[in-house]
Amino acid sequence: MLLFCPFCGPRDETEFHYLGEPKARPEPAAEVTDAAWAEYLYVNANPRGEAREIWLHRTCMDVLVMTRDTATNATLSVESSRPA
Amino acid sequence: MRETDWAPARLIEGTLVARPGFSARAPAGLGRTLVSGDLAAALAALAPGAPVLGLYEPAPKTAHALRIARDRALVVTPAPIGAEDGWRDGWCATTVDDGWATIEVEGDGAPSVLMQGCAADLAAGSPSAAVLFAGFRVLLARTPGGFSLHVERPWLEALSTWLDGA
Repeated sequence: MLLFCPFCGPRDETEFHYLGEPKARPEPAAEVTDAAWAEYLYVNANPRGEAREIWLHRTCMDVLVMTRDTATNATLSVESSRPA
Repeated sequence: MRETDWAPARLIEGTLVARPGFSARAPAGLGRTLVSGDLAAALAALAPGAPVLGLYEPAPKTAHALRIARDRALVVTPAPIGAEDGWRDGWCATTVDDGWATIEVEGDGAPSVLMQGCAADLAAGSPSAAVLFAGFRVLLARTPGGFSLHVERPWLEALSTWLDGA
């Protein structure tokens, strides 16, 4: 499978590392319950179909926000977390 | 040799692998400087006129820069340039003359070795010379007789071992 890095272009999937779903960390840390923290760490939407995912391109170290169809593996859009 | 014994380390410079069809050698005496930030300003100061190379682009014997990321590159020079390490004017230099190593693979079998190690579409090109080769993060350039790999030195032995089995 080929994935797309906004800087490097299409590269083999082995160059990428999945970091997780984009979601906000619960704050403030001192007031976060164990249940809320566990949900943040372990509970994911993991949808079938269109999903937003964070990936790391291991060679250039760009962090990407990718919208991907998890059923077909088609990449719908990708953007760098860094300014161009 | 017992499997728990360490194998003798290969030469750091010189011929690393000699196989039918190809050889791999580490050239001696190159200078290497990592630069971050404003790459144009860094190159103007450290290696004026040096070309910035992307994936598998022809590398001259003279000074050149291998692009790693948007704002990072490895400047390769025929000899160490002794850049002052640290930040200045929007860019940063880190001398890595001994921190990185270069392997030049040459011979009729070099294209086959390249295909075994690298899954990227080299004909399509890329602004970044950084790629996974045999699972190692390297900077890949083309040479007249084959290709060159620039790798962080701790990986030199493992990468040489892989090449010996290619």
